[in-house]
Amino acid sequence: MENRLARQSFLGEHSAAVLAAVRVGIVGVGGGGSHVVQHLAHLGVGRFVVLDPDCVEDTNLNRMVGATVEDVLRATPKVEVAARVIQAVNPNADVLPVKSAWQERGELLRDCTAIFGCVDCFAAREQLETAARRYLVPYLDIGMDVHPIGSEFSISGQVILSMPGELCMRCLGVINEAALAREATQYGAAGGRPQVVWPNGLLASAAVGLFVQLVTPWHAKPVATEYLEYDGNRHTLTRSNRLVAMLGQVCPHFESIENTGDPFWLPTAELAPGKGSLRNTGSLQPR
Amino acid sequence: MRVAFKITRRLVAGVQADLRRPHAFAAERVGWLRCRVADSPAGSLLVLAHDYFPVEDSDYVEDWSVGARMGSAAIRKALQLAYDTKTALFHVHLHDHRGRTWLSPVDSREAAKFVPDFWHVRPEMPHGTLVLSRDSAAGRCWLPGGQVVEIGEIIIVGAPVVRILEEHGEPPRTPELPRRT
Repeated sequence: MENRLARQSFLGEHSAAVLAAVRVGIVGVGGGGSHVVQHLAHLGVGRFVVLDPDCVEDTNLNRMVGATVEDVLRATPKVEVAARVIQAVNPNADVLPVKSAWQERGELLRDCTAIFGCVDCFAAREQLETAARRYLVPYLDIGMDVHPIGSEFSISGQVILSMPGELCMRCLGVINEAALAREATQYGAAGGRPQVVWPNGLLASAAVGLFVQLVTPWHAKPVATEYLEYDGNRHTLTRSNRLVAMLGQVCPHFESIENTGDPFWLPTAELAPGKGSLRNTGSLQPR
Repeated sequence: MRVAFKITRRLVAGVQADLRRPHAFAAERVGWLRCRVADSPAGSLLVLAHDYFPVEDSDYVEDWSVGARMGSAAIRKALQLAYDTKTALFHVHLHDHRGRTWLSPVDSREAAKFVPDFWHVRPEMPHGTLVLSRDSAAGRCWLPGGQVVEIGEIIIVGAPVVRILEEHGEPPRTPELPRRT
């Protein structure tokens, strides 16, 4: 299998080693997340943590890569399907499947090179982005939706690269109070939302491309922030005008140091500090 | 304990730009990175740089034996910042060249004098020193409890994401010369 990655050597002389060393977190491995998992496995990513609390159901078979009828019958956890897909392509991959809501095991995402959020609500997106920024981890978000318009339907979606220190999803207008409030009023009543395989695949592919240009860029101008809007009826994926208008501006939403690191970090017993005190002696101004 | 230091590319660019500003008499500038901390699932310590505080022009003292020397006011203000905001502080300066960089013998000697003072105000936090080059970095961390370790991994978070791993072995030996005569 020495030549497994030969066709992608243009990604850089050391790209295989770089990709083998990165650790990627994928939250939600049902629709879009299953495509992300498959892509990253083929790319040669070496370390995964995949989180999803759900098991495979028959309604997943229309879009979840790797899921089989047998998985439906056995109610296989989705993360086990993801691990199976990865290790079928790359038996050497280090995969940590976690059948749990990511909020219960959020510490596993702290030292990831990047986090893919493949979740289906605004509140979860905002929580994931906030957690990613807290530990200075790039966050890639994908999502799609189907809206009824009269007797027809519109498919839309987005791919976002949210980089710590750069514009966030609130800056880009993806997360806002109106959307969160609307979602909250529908909590528990949404039922199964329409989902299909091809937009998930397209959005996942674009997100993986953004990830690769971060870790093994094949050109001189990788982007730090991206917001691509998908129009599934016109079959287009285009940069958002909102992002174009805001490029160069500074995100004001994570300025406080309270948004960085562990809020209540204390050293472990291994690190036993002494004690001390200081009187007020003036102040510094940030630049 | 292994230490990983993370900083955004935007913050690195801002720090480098500030450190390149000429000073009335100091040959180089210095500043402070204010950081928070977290434990990684792999057992290492994550030091997360949040923002940057330059040493004020008036807080340098003239000393031609080194590139820049902070006066006591600079140290006092940094100590106060660490105390008030319950944060880890890392001294930062620039070696304005490309490629790998290391703490010079002067950097090591001077940092060993002032970094442990931060334990008087924030004994529960790690503190340290970081040196940036144009495209690389190196650093040393004073852990709570007294252990001093080289920063094993510095990650510049941006496009692209850059991981700088500590290379074992001696840095190139160069004669230690006064920066100005």
